[in-house]
Amino acid sequence: MNYQVTHITEVKYDALVNLARFNLRLKPADWPGQTLTSYRLDVSPAPKGIINESGPFVVNIARLTLDRPTASLTVTSEFSVRVDRASPEAEDASPVITDVRSQALADRGLTARDPANYLFASPIAAMTQEIAEWAASWLAGDNRVMAAAAGLMRAIHFEFAYDSKATKADTPPLEAFRARRGVCQDFAHIMIIALRHFGIPAAYVSGYLRTNPPPGRARLVGADATHAWVNVWCGASLGWIGFDPTNSMLVGNDHIFTAMGRDFADVSPLDGVFIGRAGQRMKVSVEVTPLDL
Amino acid sequence: MAASALIEPLRDYAVPNSKADLFTGSPENVATSWRRMAGGLAGLCDGRLGDIHDRLLRETTDLGMTFRLSGDTDERPWPVSPMPLLIGTQEWAGIAKGLVQRASLLERVIADIYGAQSLVADGHLPAAVVAGSASYARKMQGIMPPRGRYLQIYSVDLARGPGGDWRVLADRLRLPTGIGYALENRLAISRTTGTLLSDINARRLAGFFAELRRGIASSCERASPRIALLTPGEFNQSYTEQAHLARYLGFPLVEGRDLAVSQDRLYVRTIAGLKRIDAVWRWIGTEMLDPLAFDAHSQIGVPDMFDAWSSGDLAVANWPGVGVAQARAFSAFMPRLAKVLLGESLILPNMATWWCGQDEVRAVVRKRLDELVISSAFGTEVAGLKGGRTRTGASLNANERAELFAAMELRPIDYVGQEIVHLSTTPTLIGEKFEPRPFTLRAFVARGADGEWGVMPGGFARLSAQGDLRTSLMGEGDFSADVCVVDDVAIEQLSMLGPDKVPPVRRSGGILSSQAADNLFWLSRYSERTEITVRMVRNLLGSSIEVDGGSGRGEPSRRRLVDLLLNWGAIPAGAADLPMPQLCGRAFREQKLRGGIAALVDSIREIGRSLRDRMSADFWRVANQPIPPIDDKWAQTVLAASNIMIDRLSVLSGLAAENMARGPAWRFYDLGRRIERALSICRIARQLTGLDCGQDEYGLLLDLFDSQITYRSRYLVGPMRAPVADLILLDSGNPRGLLYQVECMAEHISNLPQLTDDGIPEAPYRQFSAMLANLRAMECESVDDAQLQDIETRLLALSDAISQRYFLQYERSDPPVRDTLLA
Repeated sequence: MNYQVTHITEVKYDALVNLARFNLRLKPADWPGQTLTSYRLDVSPAPKGIINESGPFVVNIARLTLDRPTASLTVTSEFSVRVDRASPEAEDASPVITDVRSQALADRGLTARDPANYLFASPIAAMTQEIAEWAASWLAGDNRVMAAAAGLMRAIHFEFAYDSKATKADTPPLEAFRARRGVCQDFAHIMIIALRHFGIPAAYVSGYLRTNPPPGRARLVGADATHAWVNVWCGASLGWIGFDPTNSMLVGNDHIFTAMGRDFADVSPLDGVFIGRAGQRMKVSVEVTPLDL
Repeated sequence: MAASALIEPLRDYAVPNSKADLFTGSPENVATSWRRMAGGLAGLCDGRLGDIHDRLLRETTDLGMTFRLSGDTDERPWPVSPMPLLIGTQEWAGIAKGLVQRASLLERVIADIYGAQSLVADGHLPAAVVAGSASYARKMQGIMPPRGRYLQIYSVDLARGPGGDWRVLADRLRLPTGIGYALENRLAISRTTGTLLSDINARRLAGFFAELRRGIASSCERASPRIALLTPGEFNQSYTEQAHLARYLGFPLVEGRDLAVSQDRLYVRTIAGLKRIDAVWRWIGTEMLDPLAFDAHSQIGVPDMFDAWSSGDLAVANWPGVGVAQARAFSAFMPRLAKVLLGESLILPNMATWWCGQDEVRAVVRKRLDELVISSAFGTEVAGLKGGRTRTGASLNANERAELFAAMELRPIDYVGQEIVHLSTTPTLIGEKFEPRPFTLRAFVARGADGEWGVMPGGFARLSAQGDLRTSLMGEGDFSADVCVVDDVAIEQLSMLGPDKVPPVRRSGGILSSQAADNLFWLSRYSERTEITVRMVRNLLGSSIEVDGGSGRGEPSRRRLVDLLLNWGAIPAGAADLPMPQLCGRAFREQKLRGGIAALVDSIREIGRSLRDRMSADFWRVANQPIPPIDDKWAQTVLAASNIMIDRLSVLSGLAAENMARGPAWRFYDLGRRIERALSICRIARQLTGLDCGQDEYGLLLDLFDSQITYRSRYLVGPMRAPVADLILLDSGNPRGLLYQVECMAEHISNLPQLTDDGIPEAPYRQFSAMLANLRAMECESVDDAQLQDIETRLLALSDAISQRYFLQYERSDPPVRDTLLA
């Protein structure tokens, strides 16, 4: 499947800000099953310079500096991508959780794709006993890891209400958990916390969903927006497999991968610093169009 | 010293096992030093040993030595034991050798983790042991430090076992907390004990610090590098030691907001523009150093500082990310890593440690649980150990044990088992008597000019009544002690400047950061404001006490003063009608309104604290005293408090006038005082020279600005409007008068560094000059309210212009905001 993605971010400040510096994490990083065929980043007002680098996790970072006072910023990230993921393995073919645990510890790598980095609490996804207790019934050691992760994913989908008003970017996952409502970011964090508590490596993925479903299928939650889901490390031979708790589905050809990190903070689409004391508002629009239709 | 020969306070000191105490277990030559030291302490107080505590407390208070426990809002006095720990050179040489080996080993391990990663690839170090540490900074991968030095300063906690054997409890690589306290302890002890330390041939610390400074300098590209000490700010637990170190080493003390990065170079914002920084000794954790590279929420870091060390040549001590190797889990692998990397065994063993991430090791820990302590492997909160606390296996009941084992099966990587370390004791002066107390010792190792490791001949000891000393720097009820390495005979001592180099002669005192200039400016403004407020209060009282005396005031002029106090926010509206002593007492105690005397004194102390590296101990001693006690019922106590306050403020301004070098720091300090005083003169003169004013008011004006004597020496008549206005406003020879203040300001302003191309309007400066010219041309008969108001407005504009031009404009981080559409 080929997609054209246009992601426009508009930031408006209440007053002029000076010397603003941003990190943009918008350009999809390399990931199996998808190929980036074109990419364009447009920033207005024009920055002094843009430095492209790969970040400490599976993430591309564009760093930019605005050296003239401005009251607004518009970032347009546009790309086409070919997605061709292999169908996931049958759940029964995946190893049991205790084996995943020991395989993760036997792994002798420290790269951004190795499981060791995703085993521990991270700044947003702090260890939370309450979430672990809730998740325990799906994550017994002799369960097949894919079946266990799928069970957890379905549980989140059914027990939690999708509610974009309920949480904000910095709402701690535990608060969303207690309220049993939130958005994809909250669901992904809750699932990550639960999995890591049981020694299963789990990562936060940012990306996109196709906007219009194929004929006869319902529109997915999270289309028209940036999306987030969970990569679960399912043992040395299967590696990372994507689970989307917001839609209760395995990640397939409707999902476009942008970046993977320990939690939202590692892959946040935009952050930065500026001189000034202005408040800000942000408006985002995303269009994901299939090109093959 | 005759007395000390007779007094032997340690004669009756006894412990059950003589080896398990630092004194009783020491060889005879060192034991002699112990006895001399203890006898000397007693000799200092004519045999009343208990008196030494008070003497020492006076020194630590005068030195401004304080600390905070987590959760404290106020600083506490630093508790030091008068009796240092004495260690003989021979024993110390063994420890030092072990520490140097360990520093070299840690350096190699860290270089591998952030470089080739062969230790992990070859299976010598599990990947999870690296990734589990919150200090592992993936962004530092492949970034080499200048000269390849990841570690510049290494601190380490040691324990002496009951058999006299030393071992490593914990490595401290992130921050060298305690190194400044070691210096302060030594200073306090040597000030208290006169020549005692040199009598017992205690090695001095100065040489170590001189080498440490040269070590950091030798990592820099420029020959005369500028090295800054980067502090998280005055609210940090160890801010006082940071300030002390900065002052001692001559490093500018800077906060993140003082610094800026431009084209991969780090600069400090000074009153003369940006000045390049070659190296930073950082007291901020890696994750907070740069909001653009690490935690986007950091408010204490420097945006793009990462570029200054990765692409530029900024040296950072210690290199960001080195904290990775200080996790407890690492200790389990140190013996093996020593073999792999050095081909040696550890000279100084660390506490035996078992990391539960390996199945067979976990089995051992489960089996030997009763002989071990169980801890979180990476210092984070983990299931089964409430509050992240270390527990002895033996103390766990059946339920807790089951809970711990279950949690350990799920996340074995989070746990370590460690041997139980028993601590030696050291003679500690409790009241009048020496008693044995368990101790741990924090030692410090630093690279010198040649990059070789040197060990501080001493350190920082922590003594406790309880057993557990492994958590923080200082706990409730603990105290610290100096550690002295003692020689049998006197050896030649190095001074701070070193034996070989006389520094090039300089007359300017380093740099003045914009932040420090800002603080100096406001420190003097607040002092001046306090002084005039206290003078007003004193005058109110004076009138109520000496009804018929020379300073007797009528009700109308008193009302005018009360109105001024109300206007300035020195008293709340409701207090205006209180009887005079209560009203004045209220002004003293007022803490909520910014103009209250208590609030002003708080502001002075707060600003003084952030200037601690620039202020002498004398200054701090005076500034830090609380407001004297007052009793509203007794006007005399309020009056006495006013006089004490005026004395103190005079001491502060005297110290500044007589002791501050005439550089930019002094100019900003004095400028603040002049502006504040000029503003007070305008405001008070407007109230007291109006058309409806008379002798009473004019006399009050003379009193408030301390000009009675001058007036009386010039005029035989009582206070009249024109001569008073001339003396207070227009006489450039009156140091309490308006024109004098304005002329001083003009002199300062013309001597401040000129900044170009910053786009800040010059208008306030031009207007200020115009005002000065007007003021000089003014005639005392015609001065009116409008003129004074105009001067007041221009003074305020000048103050704003100065802060715009020389002080900081804040850069703030802009943490991630969620897309409104995020699903």
